[in-house]
Amino acid sequence: MEANAQMEQHSEAIVTFDNVVKRFGDFTAVEKAHFEIGRGEFLAIMGSSGCGKTTTLRMLAGLEDPTEGAIYLDGEKVNGKATWDRDTPMVWQSLALFPFLTVQENVEFALKMRGVGKEERRQRAEKWLEKMQITEFANRNINQLSGGQKQRVALARALVTEPKILLLDEPLSALDAHLKVRMQAVLSNLQKDLGITFVYVTHSMSEAFSMADRVVIMSRGQIEQIGTPEEIYREPYNRFVAEFLGSANIFDGVVQGPAGADGWQVAYEGGETILPKSELPDGRQGQKVTFIVSAENMQLSLPDSGQPGIEASVAGEEFIGGTAMVFLETAGGQELKVQKSHDELSLLNLHAGSKVVVHWESGSCHVLPGENK
Amino acid sequence: MTKRPTLFSLILSMPLLLWQLLFFLFPLLFLVAISFWTVRNFQMQPDLNFGNWERVLTRGVFWDAYFRTMILATAAAAITSIIAFPASYAISFKMSEKAKRWMIFILIIPFFTSYLVRVYSLQVFLSDAGIVNAAFGYLGLGPFPMLNNAFGIIVGMITLTLPLVILLQTFSLNFVNRDLIEAAHNLRCGRLRTVFAVIVPSAKVGLVIAALFAFILSFGDFVSPLYLGGGNPPTLSIMITDFTKSGQQWPRAAVVAIMMIITLLTAAFAAITYAYKERGR
Repeated sequence: MEANAQMEQHSEAIVTFDNVVKRFGDFTAVEKAHFEIGRGEFLAIMGSSGCGKTTTLRMLAGLEDPTEGAIYLDGEKVNGKATWDRDTPMVWQSLALFPFLTVQENVEFALKMRGVGKEERRQRAEKWLEKMQITEFANRNINQLSGGQKQRVALARALVTEPKILLLDEPLSALDAHLKVRMQAVLSNLQKDLGITFVYVTHSMSEAFSMADRVVIMSRGQIEQIGTPEEIYREPYNRFVAEFLGSANIFDGVVQGPAGADGWQVAYEGGETILPKSELPDGRQGQKVTFIVSAENMQLSLPDSGQPGIEASVAGEEFIGGTAMVFLETAGGQELKVQKSHDELSLLNLHAGSKVVVHWESGSCHVLPGENK
Repeated sequence: MTKRPTLFSLILSMPLLLWQLLFFLFPLLFLVAISFWTVRNFQMQPDLNFGNWERVLTRGVFWDAYFRTMILATAAAAITSIIAFPASYAISFKMSEKAKRWMIFILIIPFFTSYLVRVYSLQVFLSDAGIVNAAFGYLGLGPFPMLNNAFGIIVGMITLTLPLVILLQTFSLNFVNRDLIEAAHNLRCGRLRTVFAVIVPSAKVGLVIAALFAFILSFGDFVSPLYLGGGNPPTLSIMITDFTKSGQQWPRAAVVAIMMIITLLTAAFAAITYAYKERGR
């Protein structure tokens, strides 16, 4: 809800991708990207390597030119405009700090290129060094800094010109887990403080979901879904997104007929369930339907409880903080995931090979709209 | 950071060590010893005679040759580096991997032919009746004296060092992190400015060492000063042959040679120190 409210605040778009296509020879890196980025929004572009996320960012930075379509930046069409004529500073995955300059000289670089005078340069750089808490390293050589310190220098260098938008290309991927979480907080707070737009490319769901107002999920050059983290998590658009998020069980079923006033009876391999009508408003008998049930909405019972559901056997278990993910296999060979608290699991006393019955409330089914067109 | 060499690494470096001892250090010590010997009746006799050093170092003709050689070699190294850079830049940044390989191959070809042969052919180009002046003649210009002067010497030295300098520069430019160039562009640094603000400083070590090689090869060069410069006034290498020819003055030739070695060691040390100097604390 909060994310939606934020979206309305920055209803005006700072960036528009209008059916942008990028090809390298025969290879299509980005296919018909069509979306807007709001003013002051934190947008994450997520996908596995080679999905076109970095190419999308590089087109926005002016490091690649679109093959087709148009990109608008602050209302102006920027196709063909060189990166040095745009105001789209970027933070590189390698950080790309200049090793032959000191920390302070790195931060001053963009100002020097704009012909800002020496004294003003120094003052503005110092302000950003202070903001990023690296004042004490001003005269250091880049190679003597730690990963986190370099990260802060890269941010200061990109932000010193006070741009309206900052582009980040997997800037945290080289850091260890602990530092990564700390830098996420730094980035998140920085974006809120400055109120500028961040476009953040990552392959990590936890980074994207913890920081971004909206997330774009890409796969093989296509945008699969755009939405707030909550929307994407609750209502993945298609099988790819559901599988990418990794915490949902996907079922392929066929509508058998109405079940009461507001449900559909649906059969799938290994069982039957009721889908709420709200999920499938214009369903009909015989229609194929793909739906998901998220791992934490799945219930487990022992076979002797008499509870109807899918029979499955335990294949393994994985700890995720205070909960565990139980991996199950049905007689038909389908793999299922169930997330439960340790307390609940200890009551069931499960071990590998245990037989269980899996069931869920009909309201926790979500139909994948992208698979049921 | 100091590491103790292991036995294995010592054994591996033995051939190099032996070679350097036999063919560099011993001859060098011998050279130093000779510089104190005395020549009587065209015969060298072991001695501890400081007269050779005094005679050479107090004479204006030595210092004239020294500074002349220094200026020629410095100019040749600077001009070669400047001429080489656009070519190295083009090879490293603008060519496909396949074209790069061909260019490196082509740059090695000049080393197949003797430097002496190339210098002789330059005489044909540069003489008053040569090809270049003939071309100027058609335009109603010249002839320009291009042989038996500093111009000729520098052309020869550039011919000697240019392919090597381009190769060394190209290799060092290949190692420039491409992200740095994009980052500079992204921070509003235009193409030409990026060359000087980012590419040159990034490749500094390689560029300085390439120039150092050009300086070392030019400083000790004997062929160009003799065949393209006419040998008079002499450079240091020509002075060495002059001393040995006139009156078997090997000890004085040794003094000149030692002065050259000291100069090159100083230049190499200064250049490498400069190349590896880092900014900031």
